[in-house]
Parts: sequence; structure tokens; C-alpha cells
Amino acid sequence: MVHVEIAAEQLFTIGPLIVTNSMIGALLASMVLLVIARFFANGSAIVPSRGQSLVELPIEFLAGIVRGTGGKRWRQFAPLIFAIFLFVLTANWMSLLPGVGTIGLAKQASDGTKIIVPFVRAGAADLNFTLGLALISFVSFIAFGLRANGVGGYLKELLIAEPAYMTPLLTPIHLISELSRVISLSMRLFGNVFAGEVLLATMLALTTATVFMLPLAFVIPGVFIGLELLFGLVQALVFALLSMTYITLAIAEHRQHGEAEHHSGEGPEQSTASAHGAA
Amino acid sequence: MDLHTLAAGLAMGLGGIGPGIGLGIGFSKAMEAIGRNPEASGTIFVPYILGLALTEAIGIYALVVSLIILFAAK
Repeated sequence: MVHVEIAAEQLFTIGPLIVTNSMIGALLASMVLLVIARFFANGSAIVPSRGQSLVELPIEFLAGIVRGTGGKRWRQFAPLIFAIFLFVLTANWMSLLPGVGTIGLAKQASDGTKIIVPFVRAGAADLNFTLGLALISFVSFIAFGLRANGVGGYLKELLIAEPAYMTPLLTPIHLISELSRVISLSMRLFGNVFAGEVLLATMLALTTATVFMLPLAFVIPGVFIGLELLFGLVQALVFALLSMTYITLAIAEHRQHGEAEHHSGEGPEQSTASAHGAA
Repeated sequence: MDLHTLAAGLAMGLGGIGPGIGLGIGFSKAMEAIGRNPEASGTIFVPYILGLALTEAIGIYALVVSLIILFAAK
């Protein structure tokens, strides 16, 4: 039977701060990113070396997408999107390294069975990690909306529906949908990564259950690790792209508003023109 | 038999129906669009990934609920 722990296990405490093994995983991921960035930022050349172009490959890939769909002001929020993408990607892929989730201290569980408390656990296999990222995304898209629309414009956009008499019905729905973005962002990443971990553990447990199946244990978990590589990339991309879409929407509300005013400015001429045409 | 196991299986199984149908429709439409206009595959990619993520989220909710039933709510 596979032992599954939904919450990250506590390793030690620093004062009031509880350090869990998924915090170690997230720290390792950010340290890897920092080291790579430090190493390649100093020696960056205009004609890149092989290693530099390898590091720049995901950035260029994402920059193409953000430039294409992020609107005019994509440069303002592009660093945040890149950071989210690279962090989630590194954390996801590092969780597939050997030793993550498998090396740890043996402990006696409450029902008497022996379990392992791993030293390192995938960062995103803990709801705190994904909720933190989702809150960063939430705060940033509100901040971008505030900056683009101003406080009054943002509150008007948030609280007053388009036909004003629909406000009592639509405003609660609007508020709930804004808040549910946090829940869906965090739950999506957590569910995918955690289910991936459980899937890998289950596959290993199934193939090592009997001696006759043992040769399969070298093949089948490998296939699923390959699948997890793909899922890790897709989930990092999805998290980054959804954050980008929310920010773009928060900025674009202002632009649509401006266009609406612009149109209403042009409106009378058009209507008179069409009236003339009709006449 | 433990009812928790049954509940978790039902939650995941029933919760997987809707997203499965939705993902199938979305994927088939994306493939149709690429088949009709192969140059647009780059433009289709991002909205497709976003739609996939939003549809799949429903399935993930079911998964999280069933995991909670299985491992946390005992």
C-alpha cells in the first residue's frame, strides 16, 4: 500500500517558523534558478554560447507568447510571468530527480507501520506553495488593474455591472469569480503535481508487488516519469499564461472602457451618417 | 467495505465525465481548426492551452476532493 500524506511533513522549526520538506524543495528550486541566473547573467554575450542559448530558450519561447497575446504593455508584467513560469517549471522538474520524496527519516506511524518522512518534497505538492503563488498572481492583477484604471475606475468596474439595474445580480457573481481565480489557480497546480506524485508511487508499488512483475518496474514508472515531465511543463505554462490573461484582462478593461468612450464620441456622427443614408 | 473508498471512487469517476467530454470537444475543435488552417496553429496554441486548463480544473477539483476523502477526512 502506498503511503500518501496530503500535508507537507514538518522537518524542524526555527523559532515560530515550521520548516516543512516542501519548503526545502521550493528553496532548492529557487536556489538553482538563482545560480543559473547568476552564472549566465554575468557572461551574457550578444552572440550566445551553447549554454546561454539553452538557458535563453524557455525565455524566448515565453516571450514570444507574451508578446503575441499580452497586448501593448506586455513588457510591464513579462518579468513576473517569466519568474512564475521558471519557478514552477524548475520546482516541478526537480521533483522528478531521484531522492526527492524517497530519502528521509524512517518514522513510526500512528497505526504502527513504518513510514518515511522525506527530506525534500516537490514544492508544488503542497497547497501552501501553490496558494502563495496564486495570491501573488491575485495581488498583481488587482495592482495592474488599479494602476491602469485608477482606484475609482477599478471599483466602478468591479462593483457596477454594465446595465446598472443588473448590479445586485451580477456584482456578487463577479466578486465570486474574481476570488475563485485564486482557488482554481492553486488547486489546479496542487492537484496536478500531487496526483503526479501519487501516480508515480502507485505505479512503482504495483510493479514491485510481485517478483514476476519486477522487470516491468524498470519500464513502467519510467514511462510515467516522462509523462510527468510533460505535465510539469504544461502546468507551469498554464499557471503563467492564466496569470498573464488575468493581468491583461485587468488592464484591458480600462482600454475597452476608453474605446467605448471613444466610440460614443464618434457615435453621433456615425448615427447621423447612417440616418442620412436611411433618409 | 469502507465507504470512504467508495465515495472517493465515485467522486473521481463521476467528476471525470464532464471534463472528459469538454476536453474532447475542445481538442477536436482545435485539431479541426489546425487542419483547416495549418498556419494558424501558433495562434490557436495559447487559447487552446488556456481552455484546456480551465476545463481540466473541474476534473482536478474532483481529484482533490477524492484525495481528501481518501487520505485526510478519515
